[in-house]
Amino acid sequence: MIIPYIFTAVLIILSLLIQGHSSFDVISIAGVKPDLLFILVVYLAYSFGSFYGEVTGFISGLLHDAISNSPLGLLAFPKMAVGFVAGMFGRSIIKSNIISITLILFIASLVKGIMTLILAYIFHHTSIAVVLHIILPEAFYNALIAPALFILFDKVYEKELEREGF
Amino acid sequence: MEFFIRNRNIVAFVAFTLFCIVSLSIQSSTFVLTFEGVGSAFLSPFQKAYDGIQGGTGRLWAGFTELNDLRDELGKTRAKLQQYESIAEELDEIRYENERLRKLLDLGTRVTYDSIPASIIAKNPDNWFRTIIINRGENDGVKINMPVVAFQGEEKAVVGKIVEVRGSISRILPIISSDIRVGVKLIDDRSPGLLSGTSSNTGMCVIDYISRAIQVKPGEAIITSGQGGVFPPGLSIGTVIRTEVLESSAYQKVIVKPVIDFDHLEDVFIIKKEPDKELLQIFEATE
Repeated sequence: MIIPYIFTAVLIILSLLIQGHSSFDVISIAGVKPDLLFILVVYLAYSFGSFYGEVTGFISGLLHDAISNSPLGLLAFPKMAVGFVAGMFGRSIIKSNIISITLILFIASLVKGIMTLILAYIFHHTSIAVVLHIILPEAFYNALIAPALFILFDKVYEKELEREGF
Repeated sequence: MEFFIRNRNIVAFVAFTLFCIVSLSIQSSTFVLTFEGVGSAFLSPFQKAYDGIQGGTGRLWAGFTELNDLRDELGKTRAKLQQYESIAEELDEIRYENERLRKLLDLGTRVTYDSIPASIIAKNPDNWFRTIIINRGENDGVKINMPVVAFQGEEKAVVGKIVEVRGSISRILPIISSDIRVGVKLIDDRSPGLLSGTSSNTGMCVIDYISRAIQVKPGEAIITSGQGGVFPPGLSIGTVIRTEVLESSAYQKVIVKPVIDFDHLEDVFIIKKEPDKELLQIFEATE
């Protein structure tokens, strides 16, 4: 039973290292990169429910805050909240296919972006222009690469998904 | 107890939300800084290891594919070296003349600083906050508030300043971050201003407190003023793109394109200049 938790821990650290490494800038478009960690959180929430999603979102978000020079909680809260909500619309309600995954990630990324904007507005400083410069491009980018990553994660969590009856 | 287990989703959500709100509200407390430091320290060995693997694989592949390119580069570099040798002789002459004139004008000699070369091992792990992590730390003599520069082509320009130092890694706050404040001046007009990154994360910088009466020309160079105690004066920052004037303000905003291309930055130099503490305190108090 501990194996899925080890997989999750490894995937969180790997996602942070990949998206934090300077070589990942190669795939950035107009200075915006996809958020691999967030895609992982949405996948886990969608596959294993709200509790798994919110706990993974919170822990990975805190680590993301720690290496991002952002106020602690600013990246963690949106990931945790989206993990919680995405878990309510799990695999049993929305069937997994390219269109549904793309749509889920696009909407989830928009919600995460707007939450981050509101928190940054209250506790840090930001401008509404980030909607055009960060939130929308990141939502498109996350939605674009999510189906391929979901297939990869399905392979990693194959046994756990079978156990859950998917 | 049974209530908590039955409603664990809601209980965890409320607990995490409270933690985030309290943490965001008390950002200056040592508890939050320590917690963040632990997270950062936990990930730093993984970051160094990943960079090592990535760099090693890249070099191995480059060994096979880039041999011809390297031959061409070597030829070009040799030609450039000859050119620079003649410039160096000329520079020595100018430096001597400059020092002699400064003495005559009683200006005192210009201070030069040593620098520490460093490579970037991690950069902007998210799209919201700009940060750069390098492979030099306390063990190499790096200290908080040391300025960092890099070469863009042949031009040396400011990258940012050191904001966090650990054993063998450090964190740079780049000039495109909205959290930084750098004392700058227009090269022609000599008017001082305060530069920071734009809050919309466009990779540009903005200068505040430039009087509306001043005519700022697009293309004009921006250099550090030396005010603030962190950056030595005269370092290149960028060029003016445009100005924005608000009717209600006595100042204009000047939008600046940095010299450094932050998307392709790989190597930097930390200038071994300790901050002027008194000046820094005054500068931070007036922010």
